[in-house]
Amino acid sequence: MRLPAQPGELIDRAEPLGFRLGEYRLEGFRGDTIGSALFANGRRVFSRSFKYHRPRGLLCCSGHCPNCMMTVDGVPNVRVCVEPLREGAVVTPQNVLGRLDMDFLSVVDKFGGPFTPVGFYYRTMIRPRFMWPVYEKFLRGVAGLGRLDEHAGHSRRYDVEHRRARVLVIGGGQAGRAAALAAATAGPGVVLVDESVRLADVELPGVEVLAPARALGIWEGKLVPVDSGTVLYRYRAERIIVATGTVEQPLVFPGNDLAGVMLPEAARRLIRDFSLRPGQRAIVLAADERAPEIAETLREAGVAVPRVVDLREGARQLEAHGRRGHVRRVVVDGEETKCDLVVVSGGRQPAYSLLSQAGGRVEYDESLKVFVPRDLPAGIEAVGSVTGEGIVRAEGAAAYEGSGKCFVCICEDVTTKDVKRSIEEGFDSIELSKRYTTVTMGPCQGKLCQLPSIHLYAHELHTYEATIGTTTARPPWAPVELGLLAGRHLEPTRRTSLHFRHEELGARMMWAGPWKRPYAYGEHPEDEVRTVHESLGVIDVSTLGKLLVEGPEAAQLLERLYPNRFADLKAGRIRYGVLTSDGGRIMDDGTVARLADDLYYVTTTSTGADAVTAWFEWWNAVWGYDAEIVNVTGALAALNLAGPRSRDALQRLTEDELSADEFRYLDAKHIEVAGVPCLALRIGFVGELGYELHFPSSAAEYLWDRLLADGARPFGLEPQRILRLEKGHVIVGQDTDSESNLLSAGMPWLPKMDKDDFVGKFALEHFAERDERELLVGFTMEDDVVPAEGAQIVVEGQPAGRVTSARRSEQVGAVIGLGWLPRDRADAGTRFEVRVDRRLVGARVHHGAFFDSAGERMRS
Amino acid sequence: MSALYFMSPARCTPETLASPLERGLVGAPESLRDLSPDGKVELRGDLARVGLAEGDELIRLTPRRGFLLTGDPLAAIDRSRANGVLAYDMTGALGGLAFEGETLFRRLTDLDPGALPTAGGFARISAILVRDEGERFRAYFPQELGHYVVEVVLDVLAGLAGGRSHRA
Repeated sequence: MRLPAQPGELIDRAEPLGFRLGEYRLEGFRGDTIGSALFANGRRVFSRSFKYHRPRGLLCCSGHCPNCMMTVDGVPNVRVCVEPLREGAVVTPQNVLGRLDMDFLSVVDKFGGPFTPVGFYYRTMIRPRFMWPVYEKFLRGVAGLGRLDEHAGHSRRYDVEHRRARVLVIGGGQAGRAAALAAATAGPGVVLVDESVRLADVELPGVEVLAPARALGIWEGKLVPVDSGTVLYRYRAERIIVATGTVEQPLVFPGNDLAGVMLPEAARRLIRDFSLRPGQRAIVLAADERAPEIAETLREAGVAVPRVVDLREGARQLEAHGRRGHVRRVVVDGEETKCDLVVVSGGRQPAYSLLSQAGGRVEYDESLKVFVPRDLPAGIEAVGSVTGEGIVRAEGAAAYEGSGKCFVCICEDVTTKDVKRSIEEGFDSIELSKRYTTVTMGPCQGKLCQLPSIHLYAHELHTYEATIGTTTARPPWAPVELGLLAGRHLEPTRRTSLHFRHEELGARMMWAGPWKRPYAYGEHPEDEVRTVHESLGVIDVSTLGKLLVEGPEAAQLLERLYPNRFADLKAGRIRYGVLTSDGGRIMDDGTVARLADDLYYVTTTSTGADAVTAWFEWWNAVWGYDAEIVNVTGALAALNLAGPRSRDALQRLTEDELSADEFRYLDAKHIEVAGVPCLALRIGFVGELGYELHFPSSAAEYLWDRLLADGARPFGLEPQRILRLEKGHVIVGQDTDSESNLLSAGMPWLPKMDKDDFVGKFALEHFAERDERELLVGFTMEDDVVPAEGAQIVVEGQPAGRVTSARRSEQVGAVIGLGWLPRDRADAGTRFEVRVDRRLVGARVHHGAFFDSAGERMRS
Repeated sequence: MSALYFMSPARCTPETLASPLERGLVGAPESLRDLSPDGKVELRGDLARVGLAEGDELIRLTPRRGFLLTGDPLAAIDRSRANGVLAYDMTGALGGLAFEGETLFRRLTDLDPGALPTAGGFARISAILVRDEGERFRAYFPQELGHYVVEVVLDVLAGLAGGRSHRA
């Protein structure tokens, strides 16, 4: 039953809203929270506690405590005391076996105590080890904070918005509003953030009010993420004013968690905001000055208040008793009072967490018996009661004597007994004890339990609260949905200019680093391999990194970056290059074409462009050469036209001369193909006569279409891998790793050790002085089985190396591959074994290319 | 013939050219405009020596590096190189998208809309951002990410059309 309309009530009695609690259909009003609507429908138990499954009711009505956490429309852990009611909402209890009023797991509360002392999970259920999966399943079943619906999918859309504010005021109480208005007189850009729905329609001149919304933390650069439900506002503020006020503190006494035990603000909100009588007969227990005020509020709402206890007068024994989890009577120093509502006030603690996160110091104020913020960094201010202003010292006991479970932390079901035991076990630091007992680690994040637990530690250790200190305040200040933190799922995908052509041709696309590339265009990659060997294939190699190095000292720069020579490379010619690190390890590879005396065109691996660009720029800055490095990867598409018919096919599309004499192997030429200017490189990664055409990416689809119309058949990454393996060509990063160097990877011919210097020279000299333990070599399998990449190589029954690449080659007529072998097993023809599907299969070392070892086809 | 002749889409016959955004923008709101074909030139050197033609827009990224948005990239390159500034045709390298709305901007980047042009994070990639009159913006980004950018912008627009937070 609702009270008569209260001044300023939030509900609209003319607009009823229907919702469900389990199988029950209930009704509330627009403006209700789900919690207030449930309360109006007679519900008093909202949840079951984390460990003991004790019934819990509304405690704070402010979204701080865990007592009202329920699953709403499939979303777990919604604090229904602050969640607006909406038509059709489906509310279900969580962490319950049975019903809220009859939870079978509450047996833990009755009988589990001796078996579940503090830290029991560190000591019990760890032996025998093989039983852990069973224990784990059991523990996950009986504890926890709701369940995610794995099949719910993306039930909500979350967005992130970046905003800027001159002044950001956090907290819309009296002090916060005054600070915002004062800041607004100096100009625009003032934003006020507040959790309360009451402020949603408040107009403050010159102030943008964002409510209901929660500031989650304060990071470096005055970054404040604000949770407004489905949009995370990331504010960058020039000045932050924190006016978060205080958090009411509970009292620590046996039975302090019973349904019907409330903080003053909870009772006040039920009465004022939702016109609900929080109980029929109440007792008020206050350790501060608020007892008369609370009693008056209750009486005005028609609640009988037979007893008001000012705990400052020195009560020692205090306990509450209930029936089926509902409070029924309270005993203070032997005097019993029957009641169904206990309003407790343990004082108010400044909500300093945001200020602490911002770098403010927190110290214990002995006169107020609370922690207060001090020494705030520049640009961070605090106003109102968060500074300690207006707080009256509370004089309650650290914990009251009595019988029954006495909770310090209701989130984690940590009792005074648990804390005392942890101290006895040596956990006398609040930070250590926090980790052992989990006090302050629950959903309230210490809002309701940090101060009481510190009081208790100080009391038990006979020391001062200032000595105990506080736990670290970390963001988020309030619970936040992970979806909101994650925002939209954005996965930057690099697509070549031919991406949609590949899809239209039915290519199976695969990730290759950040790129999407065609794996193959049909079910049988070997068909595409055959085409390249026998006729004409074309592959999109636009993903290759492409750099221009230009300037009077470009040659000197490359000469020092690469182990081999580039200063003597003639314009119009190409040379293969491998980049090595300072440690002489292989970093990347590609080709270098000299386009003019002062201009080189460098290609890198598909995933190496950015790293190579940064590497070049770094060394160029160190050495100070007059050379510019420009990454032109995206500017140019690249196609490799390969196969014995490639010259004829290309010749039909260009007027430039392509004969073997005019356009030799490793030549780079400017030609025009079907109206498109191209840089054509005669190189042969796939081992056949071929031309790599580099040209403006915007012309890619046109040129691709022309080549296909002229009979070229597309081939994908998988056929290319087979083709290159037939030639024994290495893929950096697949066949090499971070320890591979040019000598061990079978390229001792590449570094020119007589050069004055190059990156990695010193290390290579060192490598040359010692015998490499492993060498990268080719091999041929004795049986027709393809080992997995990474498969173990076995010599005399012992692991001796690994396979890096292996494919079945129709051209070679065998399964071929590359792998790392011990030096003494790396001679051509040496037999070793490879583990394939748990059996050992014989293989023999092969040196050089498996196919066309003289390279006649690609040089033709 | 310039050694970098092969880099310029302007040297291709017009029918050979396509935009990286054209598929993604099919059916998109008119407030989104494809700027990919517009001329873009990367400059290296003393930017004060770059000769600007009417309508050219120079975006300075560092003291010695800038982007020139121009209607005639070939002429701009010739002019810049003649003045001792290295110039590279990046028309094909960068996709370009014009869009409207500061809220849309703020959902795509944490850059200060009052401090443009600049280069920085945009839809979790790197882009050059320019502000035109009012709440009109332009973004230039690697063309290979163009389709992705359009997907993101359309997704954010859909979110903005969906209304405010469920709490409000």
